[in-house]
Amino acid sequence: MAKTVLAVHDLKTQFFTREGVVKAVDGVSFELDAGETLGIVGESGSGKSVTALSIMRLVPRPGRIVNGYVKLKDQDLTKLTEAEMQEVRGESIAMIFQDPMTSLNPVFRVGWQVAEPLVVHAEKKRPSALRDGVAMLKKVGIPNPDQRAKDFPHQFSGGMRQRAMIAMGLTTMPSVLIADEPTTALDVTIQAQILELLRDVNREFGTATILITHNLGVVAGMCQRVLVMYAGRIVESGPTEDVFAHPQHPYTWSLLKSIPRLDADRHEPLRPISGIPPDLLDVPPGCAFHPRCTFRVDRCSRDVPQLQRVGETQLAACWVTQAGTNLNA
Amino acid sequence: MISPIPLEGEVAVEPVERGRPGKSYWQESWERLRLNRLGIAAGLVLVFFILVAITSPILAALFTHTDYRTIDLANTFARPLSAGHILGTDDLGRDELTRLLFGAQVSMGIGFLSVFVALTVGATVGLVAGFYGGLIDGLLMRFVDMILAIPAIFLFILMALLFKPNAITLALIIASVGWGSIARLVRGEVLSVRTRDFMVATKALGASDLRLIGRHLLPNVLHVLIVYGSLYLGQVILIEAALDFLGLGITPPTPSWGNMLTNSETFFFHSSWLVVWPGITIFLSVLAANLFGNALRDAFDPRLR
Amino acid sequence: MPEATRERELKRAWTASEPLLSVRSLVKYFPVSSGVTQRTIAHVHAVDGVDLDIKAGETLGLVGESGCGKSTLGRTVIRLLDPTEGTITFKGEDITRIRGESLRRLRREMTIIFQDPYASLDPRQTVGDIVGEPLDIHHLARGRARAERIAELLRIVGLNPRYADRYPHEFSGGQRQRIGIARALAVEPTFIVCDEPISALDVSIQAQIINLLEKLQAQFNLTYLFIAHDLSVVKHISNRIAVMYLGKVMETAPGSVLYRRPRHPYTGSLVSAIPIPDPRIEARRERVILQGDVASPVYPPSGCRFRTRCPRAREHCAEEVPPLESFGPDHRAACFYPLD
Repeated sequence: MAKTVLAVHDLKTQFFTREGVVKAVDGVSFELDAGETLGIVGESGSGKSVTALSIMRLVPRPGRIVNGYVKLKDQDLTKLTEAEMQEVRGESIAMIFQDPMTSLNPVFRVGWQVAEPLVVHAEKKRPSALRDGVAMLKKVGIPNPDQRAKDFPHQFSGGMRQRAMIAMGLTTMPSVLIADEPTTALDVTIQAQILELLRDVNREFGTATILITHNLGVVAGMCQRVLVMYAGRIVESGPTEDVFAHPQHPYTWSLLKSIPRLDADRHEPLRPISGIPPDLLDVPPGCAFHPRCTFRVDRCSRDVPQLQRVGETQLAACWVTQAGTNLNA
Repeated sequence: MISPIPLEGEVAVEPVERGRPGKSYWQESWERLRLNRLGIAAGLVLVFFILVAITSPILAALFTHTDYRTIDLANTFARPLSAGHILGTDDLGRDELTRLLFGAQVSMGIGFLSVFVALTVGATVGLVAGFYGGLIDGLLMRFVDMILAIPAIFLFILMALLFKPNAITLALIIASVGWGSIARLVRGEVLSVRTRDFMVATKALGASDLRLIGRHLLPNVLHVLIVYGSLYLGQVILIEAALDFLGLGITPPTPSWGNMLTNSETFFFHSSWLVVWPGITIFLSVLAANLFGNALRDAFDPRLR
Repeated sequence: MPEATRERELKRAWTASEPLLSVRSLVKYFPVSSGVTQRTIAHVHAVDGVDLDIKAGETLGLVGESGCGKSTLGRTVIRLLDPTEGTITFKGEDITRIRGESLRRLRREMTIIFQDPYASLDPRQTVGDIVGEPLDIHHLARGRARAERIAELLRIVGLNPRYADRYPHEFSGGQRQRIGIARALAVEPTFIVCDEPISALDVSIQAQIINLLEKLQAQFNLTYLFIAHDLSVVKHISNRIAVMYLGKVMETAPGSVLYRRPRHPYTGSLVSAIPIPDPRIEARRERVILQGDVASPVYPPSGCRFRTRCPRAREHCAEEVPPLESFGPDHRAACFYPLD
């Protein structure tokens, strides 16, 4: 029986702007087990990044968590003071970001930045922390780590910077690693390297990982389970194999049909999803996806569907599939 | 607005999400400006001064019935609110209010002319230097560096010695030291706009350089000019006043706020109001120009979008 | 509009036998300057000897990672940049060094669509003016005819002409990209360079734009040079694909051949690096993970540029530049020790 490391329940994060309230995360619940890699997939406005920031309590103003709890082991992170949260960040949960160019501090040497969490959290002395930092740089595949540790971020390439970020996140052996679009800004061959590294790291350290991305291919290759988000809610979740083989939500289904695949025949037409992702200030009533949905019925424009079990292993928030319609027939 | 489900194989004709009329950048900026009460107040003050400056002969004819030159030696240093002279008279018995009205014409006139000339010359140089780069940019900017290195005072003294400046020549002289900063500012903005994709796209359509500069570059740097223009107006009014103080500016009997201030210096102890009136008008007009300029900058700033 | 009709007659129809666009030994270097005096100390070898042919009506895909020069190649081919060396031939005419009026006439035949829908439209212009500007520049239509043409163009790309008086910031990314496409179509071009037209768009919108581009190609008999870093997209839309690395073409082949039997080691690793949205396939895939990073385009490696990362490199690769050799119909690769 796998141990649950992170439990998120009915999380709601809203941004109070001059034009209105943006419900960036609107009731998200999921669990992360030890050692697993969970994918969160969605487009812009889906709320996937804000979910991660909410877990880390890093939501910028004018945003605020307004509901729900986030339990790391048994501690509710939403109830901690900022000082207590600072002890958790970087120590029990680490986060790596999309743009390796701006997420490292340009005025400090890389070796120091990787070692810093050890000084802050593990209260190591500087020389010993630096030694551990160099060891971690070696682990993530940076050649000549002793010399490179003395370099500044601008002397590193994008891929190496991302490796350094991963090293920085792992030095304290956190229970959870959140990776927010870690390879989107990288070339595809470098992306393959970084994903391979994340796989190795997951195998060796057993760190539970949340991988946030918009790339379905990355999810297919990296994650055992996946959550699909749309307009701030989870619309489908389940084991990756099942969700990809027989999606139970029209959004997932349409998305899979609309992306070009490397192994597809050139003459298979793409079936685009019509319309555009919703403006979060003006979310359509009922199911947020219904204006773009080819399966919709009357109920979809009135009632908001909840996540229910559809099929053996999947959950989907859709009236149509919950009523028994098979999208994959 | 929601787009309907398209028929198989057809692309939906997509409407824009929010159903309101097109708002240009200028309209949006105006709406932001309107919310800034201090800025609007400052703008109104400026408009007031401009109107006064334009209509001063009419106003004088209507309210004070005298001319700014009329000397009345029997009635010198009349106190404010005395008969026929609301703001009093100066050392030669000339009516203060009338002189202030005509002084407005001179000071504001010099201010606006100077700003106009400096903006036009500076913007042209900045646009050309920024757009073409290379040798042209190098030459023009080195020239600007030279201009900016000349001590302004030296230039003013030289001009004053060569000929007695009237309002127009004074405005031009002031503009001649001021256009350099504007050129640098515009060039900087041009450098950042020039490389944006839409400039390359328009060039790829076959647009001439003139079209690119006039129709695409200029509108996208205009906001910088407008803000700077307002702030520069305040500076020019102060420079003019300072020049009058040094005896290098407008000479009496033509009134300007600056020389009214200067001439009243010696009379401060017994007729302090002669210092106060022009002091207030200078202070208010410069303050209004600065506040309005800041409000414009906030209204145009795309960060707020 | 006598001018417009005359211009249309001047634009010769091009038969399919000769390539529409031909590039030979194309080189584009950018100087790297340094110091107060701005002396040129080195060059970025953005495009370093490229040969390509594009047939009328086809889509040639151009893929590669950062620094490979694909964007530079696209812009040089339509003369937005001046080539350093080499020749470009369009409809049989040498356009490498043309200027002035002939260059302006070329701009009616070759247009470009950009990547960033937010930066490629002038924020101070209405959508109607943006789409109408090419009509103004080339004097193609005035007054009522101009307004009608603008409306027609907007409808062609799937936008409601009612919104021609709106400003770009009121539209979504995908809609802005459509506006950019409408602008490119206004001059009735023959050849369009698509420079990463969908990379900045949401995944669910990308398919809309891809389908639109394909529909327009059929409708107006267009030829595309489709530049992107996403091989999956390029493979879907292209007849043939050219793979670039550090300024040179490594391999050209039809997409399915490139996927199933790549010959160049770089193509092989590129193909294996691209994730496929199918967990069962992903679990079974053999990955060829390259070591190290892309070398600098300022100091490219001698001989074969890819040798510093190539798992099959041998001494010979450093000494001589491999030429493009034929491996089948429409299939060429530049490698001394190709994959089998």
